[in-house]
Amino acid sequence: MNYFQRKREEYLALDAKDRRRYVTDALLNNALYILMAIFIIFTAVVNKNFLSPSSIVNIITLAAVSLPMALGIGGCIVLTGTDLSAGRVFGLAAGISAALLQNRAASKLIFENLPKTSGGWIILVLLLVMCAGAVIGMVNGFFVSKFSLHPFIVTLATQLITYGIILMFFQINGNGGGPISNIAQEFKDAVAGPAIKIAAWNVSIPWYVIFAILLVILMWFIWNKTRFGKNMFAIGSNSEAAKVSGVNVFLTTVLVHTLAGAMYGFAGFVEAARLGSVTAATGLNNESDAIAACVIGGVSFVGGTGNIGGIVLGVFVLRIIFVALNMLGINPNLQYIIKGAIILSAVSLDMRKYLVRK
Amino acid sequence: MKKLLALLLAVAMVFSMAACNSSSNTPTPSEAPTEGGSDTKVAVFWYAFSDAYLSTVRSALDADLEAAGIEYQDFDGNNNQGTQLEQVQTAVTNGFNVLVVNLVTSGSADAAQQIISAAGDVPVVFFNRAVEGDGEEGTVLGNNANVAFIGTDAPEAGHMQGKMIGDFLVANYDATDLNGDGAISYAMFMGDASNVEAIYRTQFGVEDANAVLTENGKPELVYFNAANTDKYQLDPNGAWSNAAANDFMNTNLAEYSEANGNMIELVIANNDDMALGAIAALQSAGYNLGDGKCVKIPVFGVDATQAAQDAIKADTMTGTVKQDADGMAQAICTAVSAIAEGATVADAAAKVVSSGDIFTMAEGFTNKVFVAYAPFTE
Repeated sequence: MNYFQRKREEYLALDAKDRRRYVTDALLNNALYILMAIFIIFTAVVNKNFLSPSSIVNIITLAAVSLPMALGIGGCIVLTGTDLSAGRVFGLAAGISAALLQNRAASKLIFENLPKTSGGWIILVLLLVMCAGAVIGMVNGFFVSKFSLHPFIVTLATQLITYGIILMFFQINGNGGGPISNIAQEFKDAVAGPAIKIAAWNVSIPWYVIFAILLVILMWFIWNKTRFGKNMFAIGSNSEAAKVSGVNVFLTTVLVHTLAGAMYGFAGFVEAARLGSVTAATGLNNESDAIAACVIGGVSFVGGTGNIGGIVLGVFVLRIIFVALNMLGINPNLQYIIKGAIILSAVSLDMRKYLVRK
Repeated sequence: MKKLLALLLAVAMVFSMAACNSSSNTPTPSEAPTEGGSDTKVAVFWYAFSDAYLSTVRSALDADLEAAGIEYQDFDGNNNQGTQLEQVQTAVTNGFNVLVVNLVTSGSADAAQQIISAAGDVPVVFFNRAVEGDGEEGTVLGNNANVAFIGTDAPEAGHMQGKMIGDFLVANYDATDLNGDGAISYAMFMGDASNVEAIYRTQFGVEDANAVLTENGKPELVYFNAANTDKYQLDPNGAWSNAAANDFMNTNLAEYSEANGNMIELVIANNDDMALGAIAALQSAGYNLGDGKCVKIPVFGVDATQAAQDAIKADTMTGTVKQDADGMAQAICTAVSAIAEGATVADAAAKVVSSGDIFTMAEGFTNKVFVAYAPFTE
């Protein structure tokens, strides 16, 4: 007997009133998917370009840009926390990547004596900015767990501190706060260059999409298959219970934030290659979209719930909204209002199933 | 059942907003004429909808494009180069065939180049915010045939503002020198450290004023706070904002006043928004009320936004430099129409130059059009 037959028999066994509630519950529990399906169909009917191959590749590419940060911040939310420093850490990583990977032949350089851009140097810079992000994450995690501070406050503070560091970094060597540009072509090609070209549709998929897929696999493994991942969920559900049953709450919290920081570092690295020029304002408020994506994807602020698939879904939902609102030709003033309304209704409908379950 | 009804209502609301908007304001591609008539679709990318001067340009350009019967859509980059690049990518997949771009990272050839690569074969008309930094002239516009720039000569506004300040001070020196120490102390508000226009305005606004003063045998301007070696106060968000200048000026006035004999005697701002922010702070301290009785500290801005023109009429502000919003919109519309009719980008730029006296072609370029500035004091 398959799943659908079983569901059907369950349904037939109910009386009229229960049947009605059964249907309503089913609709509401899947409201996010239903809403998105209606939205996609509506957009596709109004504008045929929306589901063209190049548009779908575009949506995937855009999602890949915001995935790493969402994957990082998801862990913090599972611990009932948040991370407001994400956008600034991302900006710092983008700035450092840009400064270390400038075209050596350019006239204005942030650092004069650096090796020529090679594959090895690019990987070294990637590791360096991930470490820089990880250090800030570690500081977040340390203060959160050592002094039982709310992550909102801790990361608000590190957000400001990181911004100060960014402003100082952008003044190195007479740059005077200006944008860091002249980024090496090798770096751009390695990250934002085409990985797969589909000649028939005249589209290409950049390397960072491949990187994002690898990161999703890696994070899925960490969340589901390691003791660290299981401890993270245990602490998120009930940190006292986790402590009693022998979980090292301090270490796990620090590591979750450290991992998140490394992810922001990675995202910033990609951003530098993608934009070709980084300013001190790069990354401002980026955490808000990442947090929204996680919450839409079912990573609850209540803690202890959420999965990687949900985060990927959340990122796609936000990107589909972004592309669809633009393709529908909606006035940008209204776009903010509609985006807010969609997030609010999607999240309240989705939270409903957790509230019922509890 | 109630909840289901609420859900349906919410969905209906969102879509009706979407539907009524798309039909009344900007026609969507499916409604576009596919045969006969123009099938040009113009995408206009603004660096930030919140910018006062560019909002004036936007309403003028929307009206011009509508009058010309060209289908267009506006996008808000929200001061984020990443968002803008994503919007450009999306617009290209959506079949827009002319892109008009107000670059977020002003003066970054690399950011402009990313936009051009994303655009592919689609012609790009950049405007207002520079696409080439200091010493990079020609790196973008010289190497891309399908690209044009319509804007202002970045240093010109600074020069004009500086000269205007110098002339004003020579005529009103003793009245401006409140504490009678023979020197004018000034405050400078900078909009964005990474914007070449802001950098030039900050530099030439003072240098050119000093040149005029020296010529007339007066001492040079003195920055009010000797401890600040930058000699400017910078909007920390790079947003040229009213609020930032207001915060700074309020703080300044708490320390520098006539009573202490060290009052700020001149305010120079990179744009009108910041000038107005400073004026609001001065007014709360009892200056620049426009009643003819209180002391008026001369305040200078750039852009000649409607609000600044009103302030100058009300005698609370002294001068600004007019960036011609209508002229800018008209130039863009002329260029877009020419491209729609099949002209090359260079021909379209030439057409803009021949359409009015305020437009000039930059030296050594065939695709870089300057819109002239003009002083505005009454």
